[in-house]
Amino acid sequence: MSACALAAGAWGVSGAATDARSAQELRWGMLMAATQGGDARAYNTLLREVTPRIRSLCRNRIRDLAEVEDAVQDSLMTLHALRHTYDPARPFGPWITTIATRRAIDRLRRHGRTAGRESNINDLPESAAAVAPVAEAQMDARIEAQTLRDAVAALPESQRTALRLAKLEDLPLAEASARSGMSVGALKVATHRAIHTLRRHFGQAGKDDSRAD
Amino acid sequence: MRTEDLIARLSEGLAPVRRVAPPMLAALGWLALALGVVGLGVASSGFRHDIDGRLMLMHEQLNLMAALLTGATSAIAAFHLALPDRSTRWALLPAPFALFWVSGLGWGCVEEFMAQGWPVISTSFACMGFILGFGVPLTLAMLWMTRHAAPIRPTPVAALAGLSAAAVASVGLSLVHHLDAAVMVLIWHGGSVLLVMLLARRWGAKAMRAVGP
Repeated sequence: MSACALAAGAWGVSGAATDARSAQELRWGMLMAATQGGDARAYNTLLREVTPRIRSLCRNRIRDLAEVEDAVQDSLMTLHALRHTYDPARPFGPWITTIATRRAIDRLRRHGRTAGRESNINDLPESAAAVAPVAEAQMDARIEAQTLRDAVAALPESQRTALRLAKLEDLPLAEASARSGMSVGALKVATHRAIHTLRRHFGQAGKDDSRAD
Repeated sequence: MRTEDLIARLSEGLAPVRRVAPPMLAALGWLALALGVVGLGVASSGFRHDIDGRLMLMHEQLNLMAALLTGATSAIAAFHLALPDRSTRWALLPAPFALFWVSGLGWGCVEEFMAQGWPVISTSFACMGFILGFGVPLTLAMLWMTRHAAPIRPTPVAALAGLSAAAVASVGLSLVHHLDAAVMVLIWHGGSVLLVMLLARRWGAKAMRAVGP
């Protein structure tokens, strides 16, 4: 098939779609004119037929499907309130498009304002969900501290003293030696052994944990 | 409520409605009312003592014509814009006339400055009182006539209503009040028209919703 034939075919399809749309809007215009005269059946038909068009117009602007349906209902109520403003001599399409677009924009604005005032409760600092990780971390820290204290308490007396003076109080070796009555050499050896013991203890525990995983 | 149920409820017991008047006809009706009311104001106040001489001046004629056309085109634009199926470009209709009017007054100020130096500027609350006194009620009258714009585009319609009413009142004021200096006309006529327009823009939508559909 040549490009010209393809183009003509495409034009034919879009032309047919436009014709169908015009015919539909013409029908809606006639139904609306009957509505203005008080024909309830014509009005019911019109509202049923026009609702999918309104929904599509609202969906072009709103992503949330529940909001789309609210905007559709708002549009139907505005259509009802403004049915005396339609002029049957004019096309129906622009009339309904303005109404649906206006209501969709209003919904978006209202949603934007509400979204600005609302926030996810789980994100609030007071909420249980937000507090839980902090409490858990504090509990873990407390358990680790207790484990360390137990491990230190299990060390021999000389190693415990050496560790406290040389590492926790950070005293110079000479002063630590004077306060503990241990020689500098013995102090160094005791501190080294204490750290080695603790490292082995926690290193072993870490290996146990990773094995359990 | 489901959309289906809403449609059933809206079409239940549908009453016939009376179509709104065509916008051009409505605008002419409002303009007749405005000119009548302002005309009565002019008649009761009496023409300014130098009216014959002023009306012979070209720039005075142009200013009066520009103010009148600004008022008339604003009214036409407001009544069109109040209908959902009309283009928002109607709002631009009075722009050239309003620009011509303001630039004419501005040019008068420049000419006077070149000829006489700095003009004497004084207060003229009587001017403001006249424009507000006629402009605000006439704006309210147009807001009532265009109340169907409330769910669609109330703010631009209200602003145009304010501009139209105040411009017509300004024409009446020019026939009544002796104010030679162009800068005084620009400040007190232009300022008062702007004030009415801004008041209408700020509160018009609320007023329309109070009486609207």
